Amino acid sequence: MNGAQDMGGKHGFGPVKPEPNEPVFHAEWEKRAFALTLAMGMPGGWNIDMGRFARENRPPAEYLSMSYYQIWFAALEQMIKERGLVSDDEIEAGHSLRPPEPVKRVLSPADVAKTLHRGGPTERDTNTGAAFKPGDRVRMKNIQLRTHTRLPGYVRGHIGTIERVIGCHVFPDSNAVGAGENPQWLYTVRFDGPELWGADGDPTVKISVDAWEPYLEPA
Amino acid sequence: MCTLCSCYPWPVLGLPPVWYKSAPYRSRAVANPREVLADFGVTLPKDTEIRIWDSTAEIRYLVVPMRPAGTEGWSEEKLAELVTRDSMIGTGLPKSPQDLK
Repeated sequence: MNGAQDMGGKHGFGPVKPEPNEPVFHAEWEKRAFALTLAMGMPGGWNIDMGRFARENRPPAEYLSMSYYQIWFAALEQMIKERGLVSDDEIEAGHSLRPPEPVKRVLSPADVAKTLHRGGPTERDTNTGAAFKPGDRVRMKNIQLRTHTRLPGYVRGHIGTIERVIGCHVFPDSNAVGAGENPQWLYTVRFDGPELWGADGDPTVKISVDAWEPYLEPA
Repeated sequence: MCTLCSCYPWPVLGLPPVWYKSAPYRSRAVANPREVLADFGVTLPKDTEIRIWDSTAEIRYLVVPMRPAGTEGWSEEKLAELVTRDSMIGTGLPKSPQDLK
């Protein structure tokens, strides 16, 4: 979606300001929001792309005025509500009001380290060949998807060069809407600064994105 | 970097600092990297090529910093002392041998 999360090249946000000591969390609730979000992925049954969409799918003014973990917590609340795991009156009450819904899987404390270490590999086997090879010139399609996509606005319509064929990976645009993993060839595509940022773009800058084959056409 | 959310090599570098997830970094690093480096007090020669990887898929990137001059013959452990988190994110240079003294 063309939401506020798609920030590449936007102006007006001011300088980067590293904090003294850089605390990872700024309040106890942030730790809990983070841990709950990771833990609920298993019983909740959503995938990483659904989770990302739940976070970005909100009015831009809201997205930009919320802190990082406020966004995470709001998305978690929404995803467990959508799946009937909690209801509005329970959130209002701050505790459960009826017996919990059965869930398929639960993340137990003993499995946390193992689960985090395993991560969520997205590479899949395929018997199709990759359409592009390193050195090929490609144009990024101008796709204006209203649901989740990993095609940033700032590269759409622009021409780049295939830098690397990564492999066949779960396609987020499908996975986010429950349409299956639909694995697609994934590439790293490299762009020259002026191609993306105009005549004033820095020619010493090269920008690379990872892009699935459905985002690309020969150029 | 990650313009779309906050992708970061957690298993290697831990959770990212707040600035990495913030709008100023996500918006500017991809378009005006020299300005962002200046925010970190880093100035590179005008003709130094700058490469940016926007982590739009589940591939995570980090920088293997260039070996500083004057470290010939150093052990792996001693070289590792020069490596900073920011030098692996790409917003800083590794420490110099003088910094360790």
